[in-house]
Amino acid sequence: MQHTRPATRIATYSLLVGIAVLFAFPLYYLIVTSLKTKAELFDPVPSLVPNGLNLASYQSVLFGRGFIGLLVNSVIVGLSATIVAIAVAFAICYPITRLPASRRLRGFVLSWALSLRFLPPIAVVIPYFTIIRTLGLYNQLPALILVYTIFNLPLAIWMLRGFLDEIPLEIEQAALVDGASRWQAFRHVLLPLSRTGILAAVIIVFAFDWAEFLFAFILTATPQAQTFPVGVQGLVTQFEIIWNDMAAAGVIAIVIPLTLMLLARKYVMTGLTFGVIREK
Amino acid sequence: MTLGARVGVRTGWSRKSGQERLVYRLLLPVFGTVFVLATIPFVMAVIEATTAGAKGFVGLDNFKVALGNPALYEAVKQTVLYGAIALPVEILGGLGIALLVHRVIRSAALRAAIYVAAMLPIVIPQIAVGVVFRLVYQPDYGILNVLLGRTGADQLLWLSSPPLALIATASVDIWQWTPFVYLVMFAGLQTVPSESVEAAQVDGASSWMQFRHIELPYLRPLLLLVVFFRLADVVRVFDHVYVLTGGGPGTTTQYLSLYIYRIGFQFTDLSQASALAVVVMATMTIFYTIISRFLPADRG
Amino acid sequence: MRLGKWFTLLVGAMLVGSACSGAASPAASAGASAGASAAASTGGGGATTLTIAAVQGVEDAGLKALAPMYKQAKGVTLNIVEAPYDNLYSKLVSTFQANDATYDLVMMDDPWMPKFGTDGSLTDLGSLGISRDADIADVVWDVGTWPPPRGPVPPTEKSKPKQLLGVTIVGNVEMFMYRKDITSTAPASYDDVLTNAKAQKAAGLTGYIIRGKATNPVVADFLPILWSQGGDVFDENWNTVIDNDASKAAINFLVNDLKATAQSDPGSTDAADRDKIMANGQGYQSSVWPGEINTAVLDPAVTKVKDKVAFIPIPKGKSGKGVGMMGNWLLGIPKASKNAQAAADFIKWMLQADTQKTYAQNNGIPSRTSILKDASLTAANPYFPVLADALQAPPNWRPRTDQWNAVETILGTELNKALTGGQTGDQAATNAATQIRALMKSKGYTP
Repeated sequence: MQHTRPATRIATYSLLVGIAVLFAFPLYYLIVTSLKTKAELFDPVPSLVPNGLNLASYQSVLFGRGFIGLLVNSVIVGLSATIVAIAVAFAICYPITRLPASRRLRGFVLSWALSLRFLPPIAVVIPYFTIIRTLGLYNQLPALILVYTIFNLPLAIWMLRGFLDEIPLEIEQAALVDGASRWQAFRHVLLPLSRTGILAAVIIVFAFDWAEFLFAFILTATPQAQTFPVGVQGLVTQFEIIWNDMAAAGVIAIVIPLTLMLLARKYVMTGLTFGVIREK
Repeated sequence: MTLGARVGVRTGWSRKSGQERLVYRLLLPVFGTVFVLATIPFVMAVIEATTAGAKGFVGLDNFKVALGNPALYEAVKQTVLYGAIALPVEILGGLGIALLVHRVIRSAALRAAIYVAAMLPIVIPQIAVGVVFRLVYQPDYGILNVLLGRTGADQLLWLSSPPLALIATASVDIWQWTPFVYLVMFAGLQTVPSESVEAAQVDGASSWMQFRHIELPYLRPLLLLVVFFRLADVVRVFDHVYVLTGGGPGTTTQYLSLYIYRIGFQFTDLSQASALAVVVMATMTIFYTIISRFLPADRG
Repeated sequence: MRLGKWFTLLVGAMLVGSACSGAASPAASAGASAGASAAASTGGGGATTLTIAAVQGVEDAGLKALAPMYKQAKGVTLNIVEAPYDNLYSKLVSTFQANDATYDLVMMDDPWMPKFGTDGSLTDLGSLGISRDADIADVVWDVGTWPPPRGPVPPTEKSKPKQLLGVTIVGNVEMFMYRKDITSTAPASYDDVLTNAKAQKAAGLTGYIIRGKATNPVVADFLPILWSQGGDVFDENWNTVIDNDASKAAINFLVNDLKATAQSDPGSTDAADRDKIMANGQGYQSSVWPGEINTAVLDPAVTKVKDKVAFIPIPKGKSGKGVGMMGNWLLGIPKASKNAQAAADFIKWMLQADTQKTYAQNNGIPSRTSILKDASLTAANPYFPVLADALQAPPNWRPRTDQWNAVETILGTELNKALTGGQTGDQAATNAATQIRALMKSKGYTP
């Protein structure tokens, strides 16, 4: 990109800015809606800016409706299911990418993983309901952790495998020749090298877990085990849509993952320093 | 490990090297467990699809009923149109933006910020996404028609004219899922060794050549992942369509997922719904077999 | 290629394997019901907890208000678990199918009654000591009785004994609203409705607000018109009559005459949108459910039409009658509940006159005639006396068949298509009738 003409550069930047605006507008309108009062929302002509910083919807969602408990459940389920899914995916990817697995085995594992995504959820929701009840996990958080782990394996396996494939085998072998055990080579050589891939996968997997509704709804019965999206669904009732609370819920759903990432910013920044030249 | 041992004897695995044995030792416990856990619901869905309540096993009857319903083909057609609008934009757009950001933006902090921002549309509950877009597209009080009105343009019936309803629902998909493609593709671009890229630039390769011959091969497995995720997800779209149009006008936006839901829960025919799901899965598998031939996940 | 072949083989193997493992499923479901007993909700210290599946929204507001009072009065904790309308239905279907004991009481919309009655999912309340009360309209009891005491009965249900399976806790009848500040007399008939609609459209208002979103919403708006105009979906023997002359005329009345006076986009309008138009003073008249009144149309925070809207029974149509539609919310006890008697005791307590009054003061919609006519309540709820009369009328209920959701989906899709210009009213009638006929035939309702 060093040699491009200024005109091309300007065009490229304007394109990116244009995309950013289109992308940001619904998010902006979400925030605006969350700050409006019911009266403002009933105005015949909607406005692009709220009349004031009215935080009543947030208060209503978090405390009035008690969704704060659901948020706690969501965080527990999201983090646990993400960690388990990544760990399981790593355990599956390691042998098929770092060891001389046959092409058939490798192909089988990868195709099977992707196929998990092919079956429409509506068909497996009742079977999962039966299984979870048989296991005695109905209306309990571990049920969701288990199910989300399975659902996110396709993505986690395929992303990790993409990264692991590109890390030259020689690096690990050099460590083994130097007398490291396989575990040490994995822990001190492979794991650090694949951290970008792991973190990228963690972010996407967590996002999927965080927003899931259908299974969270069917596999739980009471707020004790329900997640945030289950509560949010109730803001569209038969006769009314509680616009501002719904929008506030949407903003809260964004803020929590952002906060988590801010708390982990040390890891996020070192993990996501995309483009740092990798030693070969 | 008994299962592993038996497999080993059958395939003559005992003669293979210790390394290959290690593959199975590491893979079997974990993979075996998730394989069983994930396969049971699938088998139960197949059982449901081949039985009918008290009548028990009915073979392919449910499939005949499911495939004999003309409404199915209408739903399939509309789903294909929806996918034809949304998927190319999402996949090419996501890939394009990933390449642009990868090549143009150098600041590590900005790259991380964009990456995090791209996650936002995915973490919002589907229903809330639908509600926001209803506030955008609703013809009487939606912000889009208000803005169009200010420019003097015609007010459009975004949710009840057939082509517009299709576009409106697909646009939500594009907004929400192009960033996902970007997330995967941008992460994938980081696996491309920079020395290969630099060597190509020294050789005077054009941007396109650089993409085609150096970056694309590295992206291929992830591209396959993204194509199949998006394809499979088109058969899952539900909440935003339900909030925006409820499947209307007529059956214009009654996509496959909404159709299967209605068969399962409104027509209370879970057997037929399961049969449909199995058909969807089989179709996806065929697609997978065909596409993975042209877009092999493995290089070399 | 090899990869694909393996994969296809695997799927094939699964298909074969499934045929063999069919025998295993009864064992699995036996295990499931064993698990259910563990989930029975008895709180610590011997105190009873009743878990109630409720619909989210204004319909369960009164119930939520009663919970702490019941705890105080009887020491029983009510654990109210809410779900939105559509989701509640799928939740109940799956819960009943699995015979799960989580819920001791469930709220049900009255058109779901046939499904749960046919499936035998609910406990007979008569055997738990709940019986009819003259202060509550007959129709309220009838709608909770299965098989239905009047009207056509599904063929599989004719031999079953009549049982009371649900008790109304939200008396709900679709009514009509109009701007009494604009026209001083109420429309006596649908002819008046159309005349006024045209005049108000010309004056710049929405003449008649159509709630026309596909499936359930448009059907709810249309059925009172259909019945009042002398049409129907089924006759006494489950023959489909939605394409007879009277029904066709009613469809055309909606999709041609009323549509010409409607808002710009009736095809995507749901109740929330209608209420916005009405509360803003932009609309003249529409049908209305009690649940829409205090949360939107007359909500002091938003309304611009305070004291300007009248609520009346559905106007008369060509049939000579105005026929409202019932949308009662019932409370029933799942067969799987481990606390059936305690649940029945709650229902009895809830039906007491004093409880009903407290309930009404807390946004509950009572069903007791004496409470609906209680003058001290009418100021805050001007529609209560109208509702009492509407319940005595009695209103129609949606056809008592477990296929109703399917019928509604078919009719609601075809009506929406006509309303958005995709076909004529006559075509909608013909297309809906063809599909409904085929459905009812396949389910054994008609030869």
